[in-house]
Amino acid sequence: MRHQFSVKVGPVGFRVGSAWRAPVAALRHLYAQYPQPDGGITDFTVRLEPETMLRRWVRQSVAIEGDFMLPGAVPMALRHGLLAAEMGMNLQMAMGQRHFLLLHASSVERGGKVLIITGESGSGKSTLSALLGERGWRFMGDEFALIDPLTGLAHPFPRPISLKNEAIMVMADRVGAGRMGPLLADTPKGDIRHLIPSADALANMMVPGVPALILFPRFGHAAEVRTMGTSEVFVRLTQASTNYVALGERGFGALTRLVTQVPVRAIDYPDTESAIALVDQLWAELA
Amino acid sequence: MVEPIYTADPASGFHSVRLDSLTAIYHRRSGVTHVVAEPVPEIIVSLAGKQLNVAQLCGDLIADPALVEGDETRRALQARLDELEEVGLVSLA
Amino acid sequence: MTDMQNEENPGVPSRRKLLQMGAIGAASIITVKPALAQTAGSVMNCEIPVPDPARSGQYVAADGSLVAPGTPGSFRGAGRAFRGEEVKRALSGGNLPGTSTDQSRAYVNYIRRLQSGQSGFTCYASLQMPR
Repeated sequence: MRHQFSVKVGPVGFRVGSAWRAPVAALRHLYAQYPQPDGGITDFTVRLEPETMLRRWVRQSVAIEGDFMLPGAVPMALRHGLLAAEMGMNLQMAMGQRHFLLLHASSVERGGKVLIITGESGSGKSTLSALLGERGWRFMGDEFALIDPLTGLAHPFPRPISLKNEAIMVMADRVGAGRMGPLLADTPKGDIRHLIPSADALANMMVPGVPALILFPRFGHAAEVRTMGTSEVFVRLTQASTNYVALGERGFGALTRLVTQVPVRAIDYPDTESAIALVDQLWAELA
Repeated sequence: MVEPIYTADPASGFHSVRLDSLTAIYHRRSGVTHVVAEPVPEIIVSLAGKQLNVAQLCGDLIADPALVEGDETRRALQARLDELEEVGLVSLA
Repeated sequence: MTDMQNEENPGVPSRRKLLQMGAIGAASIITVKPALAQTAGSVMNCEIPVPDPARSGQYVAADGSLVAPGTPGSFRGAGRAFRGEEVKRALSGGNLPGTSTDQSRAYVNYIRRLQSGQSGFTCYASLQMPR
């Protein structure tokens, strides 16, 4: 493809090819402080292709393709190319990752121990991990938590955090403009801006930690903490993993070990300050 | 009428982990994970590497001799075996 | 011997006998299925048109089947595609945006009946929760 971009995020190397210059320029800027893939070896390739020949030039729209593709994906506007690239990278990970067990979760580290925050879109896990990353925790990732089946350790995948709508304002006030990507307005997911992880998060992108607490947050309710049954947690996490089945017995071993060894709580929270207070309280008590 | 005889893979064919009141079982031959309640693990252990009919399985599983002979017991156990056969955890020998 | 052991006495096969009939009266087996549902929004911008553009002239009956326009009790097609997130919410009890309760139910039934090859099928498959 005409324009190429490579980057390493945690243990994973990506190449993104694009028919247009603009998405690659935006990626280079957003990922300026990230390393290149080791020895130039990429694990996954994403291609941003024109949906049809005409769409390369007129009402430009981007079809997301790569090593792995999903039929039925709706093309995106060229001005949202940065989001298309991110979704493409997520797709490659979701479908192709075979070494690490992937959980749809955010994670942050403190004192060598890892807090894993899992939940559906809208549960607030991205925003919480971004906030904790500015409050003394090391940010490890907002989309995927990587669990090594051999060691049980959680590995970082600290991609720029995709902040949506209200969360953009919450974070933009706290960090300098230099750490925010461009505003992508009116994407299919609303307004999006990326937050570049802190220098500390990037410097330690190859440093794993021991999972010590798993939270299932629910935004928009009065603050409450609930325990969860181990089997319920296990089943829910199999559904929060895109590669549990593909990993076979290694996945089974990794996940049963995680749920039997790591404390889990469900938390309801009305606002982010309450969430942070609950996190601090539960970390002190359980981690 | 031919009486059904059931069997299950030997113990090495399963990797099971007790979670709480339920047990997670990885069935190696199929690669499928099931989360199951009593009496599923007990049935699988009884059938592992063996071939038993429903009456023999009742005798193996149930402590109370009075219940072992009962029709209701046999029917209930048959229903469990049908479910287990459907997901491939046990099979007809 | 490594598996299916009595948890209290590793090395001894579990031979606990069940004490009550109730113990075999009902069993639950949850079989883990492959999942894309929770990450679907992160990996794919997907939409489900109601109905498939190839059949855009047909109406949607309450049970989700496609019928001739004007059939009593049926609804005109949505004239728009619904996003993955919107359908997911409707599958757990909400209404599809811009629709009445009955209309939403008809559309959701249409979506539930989608087959491979029809527009929106992959999107719907990616939203599936396990049995």
